[in-house]
Amino acid sequence: MDELILLRNYRPDRPATIDEYRRSGGYEALTEAVQKLRPKDVVNQVKDSGLRGRGGAGFPTGIKWSGVPDQAPFPRYVIPNTDEMEPGTFKDRILVNADPHLVIEGIVLAAYAISAQRGVFFIRPSYEMDAEIIERELEVARKAGYLGDHILGTDFSFDITVHRSAGRYICGEATAQINAIQGNRPHPVKGGPHMTEEGLWKRPTLVNNVETLACIPHILRHGPEWFKDLAKTKEGAGTKLYCVSGMVNRPGCYELPIGTRLGEIIDGPAGGMRGSSRFKACLPGGASTGFMTKEFYDIEMDFDPLKKAGHRLGTGAVIVFDQETCLVATTLKLIEFFVRESCGFCTPCREGLPFVRDLLKRLENGEGEERFIPLLHDMVGYMNHAYCAFAPGAAAPLKGLLEYFEEEIMEHISQKRCPFKPGAQPMEERQ
Amino acid sequence: MPKLIIDNREVEVPAGTKVIQAAERLGIMIPRFCYHEALGSLGACRMCAVSFKEGPVKGIEMSCMVEAEDGMVVSTVDPEAVAFRKWIIECLMLNHPHDCPVCDEGGHCLLQDETVSGGHGIRRYLGNKRTYVDQDLGPFVQHEMNRCIHCWRCRRFYQEFAGYRDLGAMQIGNRTYFGRFQSGRLESPFSGNLIDVCPTGVYTDKPARFKGRRWNFQRGPSVCLHCSLGCNTTGSARYREMVRQEARFNKDVNGYFICDRGRFGFDFANHPDRIRKPRLEDKEATWDQAIEASAAILKRIHRQRGADSILCLGSMRCSLEAQAALKRFCRLLEWPEPKYFIDPRVERNVRTCVTRLDERVAISMREVEEADFILSLGADPVNEAPMMALAMRQARRKDATVVVADPRPVFLPFDFFHLPMAPQDLDCFAGALVRQALGAKTPEKLQGKAKRFYESLPESYALSRPGLEKKIKDLGQKLAASQRPVIICGTDLIGENTVALALDLAHLLREIIKGARLFQVLPGPNAFGAGLMSSNNTSASILERMESGSVKALVLVEQDPFWLFPDHRRLEKALDQLEYLLVLDYLPSTSAKKAYAVLPTTTLFEGTPATFVNQEGRVQKVCPVHRGGTPLSQVSEGKHPPRIFLDHIPGGEPRAAHDVLAELHAAISGQDKTMLLKGLWEDEGPPISGSRLLPQNPSKDIYTSEPARPFSGREGMELLLVDWTFGTEELSCYSRFTGKAERAPCFQMHPGDAARLGLAQGDRIAIAVNGEEVCLELIIASSMAPGVIIAPRHRQVRWQKMKDGRNVVIDQQIRKL
Repeated sequence: MDELILLRNYRPDRPATIDEYRRSGGYEALTEAVQKLRPKDVVNQVKDSGLRGRGGAGFPTGIKWSGVPDQAPFPRYVIPNTDEMEPGTFKDRILVNADPHLVIEGIVLAAYAISAQRGVFFIRPSYEMDAEIIERELEVARKAGYLGDHILGTDFSFDITVHRSAGRYICGEATAQINAIQGNRPHPVKGGPHMTEEGLWKRPTLVNNVETLACIPHILRHGPEWFKDLAKTKEGAGTKLYCVSGMVNRPGCYELPIGTRLGEIIDGPAGGMRGSSRFKACLPGGASTGFMTKEFYDIEMDFDPLKKAGHRLGTGAVIVFDQETCLVATTLKLIEFFVRESCGFCTPCREGLPFVRDLLKRLENGEGEERFIPLLHDMVGYMNHAYCAFAPGAAAPLKGLLEYFEEEIMEHISQKRCPFKPGAQPMEERQ
Repeated sequence: MPKLIIDNREVEVPAGTKVIQAAERLGIMIPRFCYHEALGSLGACRMCAVSFKEGPVKGIEMSCMVEAEDGMVVSTVDPEAVAFRKWIIECLMLNHPHDCPVCDEGGHCLLQDETVSGGHGIRRYLGNKRTYVDQDLGPFVQHEMNRCIHCWRCRRFYQEFAGYRDLGAMQIGNRTYFGRFQSGRLESPFSGNLIDVCPTGVYTDKPARFKGRRWNFQRGPSVCLHCSLGCNTTGSARYREMVRQEARFNKDVNGYFICDRGRFGFDFANHPDRIRKPRLEDKEATWDQAIEASAAILKRIHRQRGADSILCLGSMRCSLEAQAALKRFCRLLEWPEPKYFIDPRVERNVRTCVTRLDERVAISMREVEEADFILSLGADPVNEAPMMALAMRQARRKDATVVVADPRPVFLPFDFFHLPMAPQDLDCFAGALVRQALGAKTPEKLQGKAKRFYESLPESYALSRPGLEKKIKDLGQKLAASQRPVIICGTDLIGENTVALALDLAHLLREIIKGARLFQVLPGPNAFGAGLMSSNNTSASILERMESGSVKALVLVEQDPFWLFPDHRRLEKALDQLEYLLVLDYLPSTSAKKAYAVLPTTTLFEGTPATFVNQEGRVQKVCPVHRGGTPLSQVSEGKHPPRIFLDHIPGGEPRAAHDVLAELHAAISGQDKTMLLKGLWEDEGPPISGSRLLPQNPSKDIYTSEPARPFSGREGMELLLVDWTFGTEELSCYSRFTGKAERAPCFQMHPGDAARLGLAQGDRIAIAVNGEEVCLELIIASSMAPGVIIAPRHRQVRWQKMKDGRNVVIDQQIRKL
């Protein structure tokens, strides 16, 4: 297996301590950066490394950072995003549990790069245990001089507060997250100045996924070229924490070079399909990505190759379904999640998703009609005109369902029942 | 200026214009729900989707979110956009209860219009509808959440535009709920605007509930008479009853909104006790009898006692026509010039405002929204002129500094600097603030009178309060840095000199800061007109003249001295000296009850067009809403209307005050009836609606106010009578609806004063004034000035036991009950 970078200090029983982290080279990058490098150098190295955001959108991190203008006002903020509400995704939690100081060092380096004064560690409420770990380790870092006033004796001061989310999916969206921290309704905000100019409290703000931030110390220590070389694809950079769940032998979070082929992930660390299960489809990056069938088994799991194939890497959370799984029911379940989590701001999401849910429910119950299919097709298209990326994301599995599994839908309609439910009777016989 | 093409037509618009606005300029109304000109773009409803064919944006986008740019080619009729909009309507209708037949919004509902025009007709959704529990939002607004289409307009108006927090959005997804945390009266005095902004029937007009459809109503453009701002409204009447009042857009005055006092105060016109027939000695009479009898008596008094024994008194709520007719009436009959104010202090203040304001410093309410520094002297906007507070809030939202100097515990729906001080201290404070600001700029540029005035201003405002001097210095710097400062000046609590000083300070600021302006708040809807009509001669007060017995006949034109004059005993004694009291009014006022003869007049909603002049001198013409008459509901007592055919409208006898005066004049003088009104406006013709009756140049009197020295040493506490949003304004107090929104009247006192007197919050206290006691609950307000007691002129309180003029109370006069 390839060398572990982010999960190097992973132990099954407890998080790594600051000493363990330091023994593995921890805080070397920070020490060097604050003492020798200018903030701009840090930004440039990250830019050169080709690191792309691990939260799902895959935006180049260095470019995001260089969006903070030199003349921008203070205080500036860094928000490590640990909302991690995407179904199937649990990498941030593993990371925080494995090596909290790696995350902390990444945050402080990001702060140094944009001359930020304050960090707000935004974490979902169900991660209370992890929030406590971070709070405890922040105190340790403070005592060690890596955080707080005059970090490592320099003029650079920065501190982090842990902020527990009220617990909604949309709070993971950066602009909504800023609203949430400010005590507003967590609506996404479009238009207007970019967050790196006017974010939290109208000050320059970086919102980065913690996995992204955890890559920073390694980039600075080993150089951008080394980081680029970690990837299996030419355009990719670094390693990626893939979360595999579903009908595989060893579900879990695996660190692999970005661009590792889907099949290699499933058959490699995930231990292949469970029992007599055969691979039917998977979601490559959480619930807001579309179904991928067996024909994509060899696809390189990186942003660009998936995009080229009409898919999205998302958070890299691979959810595997076997031939016994009803994908109508699966899509319904996913849509249920999105109906519940919609912020209610715009019409396609608030009203359109329940409309979709109703149609899928009818299909699954054997009450489906053929006319539903063009209607669902239209609605997938309409979701693209919603306010934020939530509705198109929610429609992604549906889009995949319609594209690859229309036959399965038709079976539901013609048999008037779900063909996967043993004993499910056609609609008329039930009445 | 970007040029773009919308539906094959080119349009050029100012930079920053949204495509939806650009389309409006071409007369293309792109469907919308969440977009509202006053509330701005939101992008939530997705209803205004159009197709961008060429230019920097491509594909389906929301026209309210995209700014017009050069080279854009936009299609509003693109099939893809139309299909999307149709689907959006379908989505919005998924859960809508389709209860249009029982919904008050039906007939003027944006959702209805756009559902029909959008082409959504066949329901494809088979699921159940979502339902909500409605709330009781108080006497004005009916809540029906099931109809909601989640456009967010209510929340944005209520919280963002108006600044109140008790109504908002709760829950998420398709359970999102707009309402209060729990049932209860909406705290905002602007809550009625929810009814106007809601595109469907979630918020409907409670008093007008089930009274009729839009097309059942007789409607007319009207103005609000419940303060001096003159907000524009649309009145609706049905079956001779005024049923509803809505905000009417005016780009200069009120914008899109009005306050609740204005919206629900109209009911005075439906008052069951309104005088509908002329009365002579408490008996109904015909018009001819009443006019002849009145004319005979007035003629006799004129003959026997001389013209000076007759006094005519108009009011601040008379139309300009009535005020002018009264003036001409007196002139033609060679009677003394009419008066329009009972209280000489109010008269002096209004006259100072009216005679000295000019076009160079005057500003409209909408322009106040653009101010970057506001200094409010002796005004309590929410209570005195509510819409003023909304205008100030818009300025504050754009980062203006707002400073309020006033003794009252002023509340405004935004953060501001409140400097509580007694009315006597205002002059010194305002002078010192302006002097500091100009001192930081270029005072050497001032010349002549302006220079002398500047130099006479106090250099500091020495009140021994730590930190205050520094605060004033900071504020002075902010004023110095501003481009468009506005001084707002009240006229209720403050003296004539403060009114003049505010004007002079605005002029002085304008010498150096070109954008400086003045905004005055007057004490009545047509106070400006009354001030214009008032003659210079302000010798003995009216009451003194009556008390001396020199006045024998009093003619009150839409005036009720009992409403405003603080000392009832004195007033009654004075009236007892009269031989004859004639009242022309539409209100069943105390004065009308005491009158020898009453000639009923119409309200602004009935019969004849009328003109009112608001506090900035703006002439506003009002069209009648209906022809007048007793509401059918009152004639029929709730039963079927009588099946008798009449040749007249029951209760339709009241006439416009100026018409009554014309008849009276004819009867007294023996001349033609048209004589009085023919030459009413002399050669100038009637004033033009929308224009301002202001001179272009400053009056000679500027820079003649006295810059005050620091005021020190006063005895006792001054009892200040103040206005409240509900319960003190004359017309709305005759409305059944605003009565339900009144707060219980109370005394307000500074904590220091209360502690000295050993009084606590909620104590009932009695204050002895003028030999009698006024008893009320005590509320302790830490944000008010020490050394004053504040009491509302509330209709539920017999406050008219005071003296007129200043009421100073010493501690011994205050007693805990």
